[in-house]
Amino acid sequence: MSFRKIGLVAAREFMAAVTNKGFLIGLLIMPAMFAILVAAMPRLMTASGRDRVRGEVAIIDPTGRVAPALREAISPSAIEARRQRTLNRALDAVAGNRDGGEALRSGQPDPTRITGLAPELRLIERPAGADLAAEKRWLTAPSAADLRPLALVVVKPDAVQLAPGQKVYGSYDLFVPPNTGERIENEVRDGLREAIVTARLAARQLNAAEVEAMTAVAQVPSMTVGAVERQTSIGFNRFLPFVFVGLLVFGVMIGAQTLMTSTVEEKSSRVIEVLLSAVSPLELMAGKVLGQMAVSLLVLALYLGMGVLMLTSFAMIGLLDPWLIFYLVLFFLITYFLFASVFGAIGAAVNEMREAQALVTPVMLVLMVPWLMAAPVAREPNSTFAIALSFIPPVNTLAMMIRMASTSPPPIWQVWATLAIGLAAACATTWVAAKIFRVGLLMFGKPPNFATLVRWARQA
Amino acid sequence: MNAIELRDVRKTFGANLAVDGVNLAVPRGAVYGVIGPSGAGKTTCIRMIMSILFPDTGSLSVLGRASALEAKDRIGYLPEERGVYRKMRVGAFLTYLAQLKGVSRQTADARVPDLLERVGLRGAERTPCDELSKGMLQRVQFVGAILHEPELLILDEPFSGLDPVSVRLLREQVQRAHARGATILLSTHIMAYAEEMCDHVFMIHEGRKVLDQPMAGLRRQFDPRRILFEPLRAEADISGIARMPDVAHVEATAGGGCTITLVEGAEPSLAVARIAGLIPPARIEIARLRLEDVFIRIVAGGGGLDEAAAALRSRLQAGAAEETRA
Repeated sequence: MSFRKIGLVAAREFMAAVTNKGFLIGLLIMPAMFAILVAAMPRLMTASGRDRVRGEVAIIDPTGRVAPALREAISPSAIEARRQRTLNRALDAVAGNRDGGEALRSGQPDPTRITGLAPELRLIERPAGADLAAEKRWLTAPSAADLRPLALVVVKPDAVQLAPGQKVYGSYDLFVPPNTGERIENEVRDGLREAIVTARLAARQLNAAEVEAMTAVAQVPSMTVGAVERQTSIGFNRFLPFVFVGLLVFGVMIGAQTLMTSTVEEKSSRVIEVLLSAVSPLELMAGKVLGQMAVSLLVLALYLGMGVLMLTSFAMIGLLDPWLIFYLVLFFLITYFLFASVFGAIGAAVNEMREAQALVTPVMLVLMVPWLMAAPVAREPNSTFAIALSFIPPVNTLAMMIRMASTSPPPIWQVWATLAIGLAAACATTWVAAKIFRVGLLMFGKPPNFATLVRWARQA
Repeated sequence: MNAIELRDVRKTFGANLAVDGVNLAVPRGAVYGVIGPSGAGKTTCIRMIMSILFPDTGSLSVLGRASALEAKDRIGYLPEERGVYRKMRVGAFLTYLAQLKGVSRQTADARVPDLLERVGLRGAERTPCDELSKGMLQRVQFVGAILHEPELLILDEPFSGLDPVSVRLLREQVQRAHARGATILLSTHIMAYAEEMCDHVFMIHEGRKVLDQPMAGLRRQFDPRRILFEPLRAEADISGIARMPDVAHVEATAGGGCTITLVEGAEPSLAVARIAGLIPPARIEIARLRLEDVFIRIVAGGGGLDEAAAALRSRLQAGAAEETRA
């Protein structure tokens, strides 16, 4: 084995990959799309919110108590207040706790930039005995006026007071013209809910504000008790496992796929025989695997760097455990070696890319497993299922990554056990793959099937 | 000491016996031709010498090592199946190959422009490989094989598909390498190249060695004692030739000429002078030894196998014609 030659092959492989136009575009397209999402989506969303929706809501209220409360509940100020409450809850959830949510809120001077301007809804009361059919026609009739009909509410007679012998209150019917939009409909629903509850409480001589105060219990974050007592951060960690396993799979795929493509290219362009007169198959494979590893690491570093930058800009970097990044790189290396050697062997075995598909599909399916298992494993990181998965190669490293990034990380011995198993699996796979690689490189003709690959591995 | 030695080497691919008990010893400094029709086992032999394939039985040594793997950097190899990295530039590709062969980057960069110029590709360093024609690429690949100044140069069908000018340029480079002291092993199915370039030929047919001799000895052994003659005036009477001393028999050819076969032990140069004195010639020459004929005589086993000989001849000629077209 000549390390100089391995280095030369790796350097060529790396340069060929990173100077490829397709690679550069592929590399930039993800962050670019992400940046567009982050930068443009809120603007696009609020762009519609910037235009204040104006319209009329008709109500047929036989109880006579819902309409006045609704008039109050769908006033722009009430709608804004409700939106602000929803936003706060969302921010608290994202940040994982009230303090983090507060930090996010303080960075956002004008909440209407996110929530949009509240609609201006005018309530029109219809008599209790109004003709429903005529009212529905009003909804769809063309209106030249500035205020267009948006909804028709028909409150049930027992919506405020229970009918004799009943345990459940009545509610209402809601009619809307086409194209009202879900958001407006929801505002009307939310307003109605508030109005009906207020009316019911008033009918029992109860103070709405008092009841609200009595029923509100603030959700506090739990404290994780350990050597250092720290606040459990739930929200952020809820999507962290997905991000980490995504990075892991993505990094592995980039390197392994390119490795396969370049091997097939060397074979189909017949440059392989010239190469083999200078380097041994093992040196060639080692160089290619290392070269593509460098490519993958570069991509990972770019994406991780962007992630860290984003977290820093949102003052949330403290929520990310730096050890996770260390383990991500470690797990990446093991997973990469395993899959890269398999992809390399496939590349060496086939004559052209088309033939590779049949052999690649099962491997790709294995790489898809983490996506399917990410949710159950992240929800219960210490379940038997999750623990078992983290010891079964080749998905063990991916499962462990999910568990480590989750809210309750596994004990450290399990992490090291996963690493040891992963390393053993990677070595075994590389060993077998190297044999297939050596035999396959100069085999032209009929594309091999699985049985042929096994035979090559045995004869080499 | 021999540069290459094969000892009773045998190689099968499934049920197909590609090389059958071949022995070969290529002395250092020789220009050795491996000849035979397509599919004879030339490339399989060469791949075994290069340790790209491994023999089923038998042993070999290359430049004093048990395997070419241990002497890779001292061998230059132009395989029959040759390719380039299409996206790479010619200069970068050649430097990469030379570096893999242990040459420093600076040395390789310095040698590339000169060698490219010598094969008629001056200034091609910056051109991407996929912008070159097939013949140009072949010359680039040839440069790749000699860039590291190897002790042993193995060329598998180096001239196939090349135009005559390119063939001449490459042959000059082979001769230069030889003059430098390199051993050359050249495989070809075009006998004429082997006749002109090699000092030793190794013939292989259906996986077996059928001939392994120096060219000089071959000329003596297979001296055809034939003279090709065309009279200056087409109507000249050539019947007198048959009555001359040393002439065994005369065979008329199309266009009024004839092929004269001399008796054994006759001196062709004397016969030429006498014939020219008898009838003014438009053309008179001693027939050149044709490896093709030697090959056919050996394979067909002398007389009695005319059909087999004719079949072989047509196969060889078909191969050569293909080359000419290409």
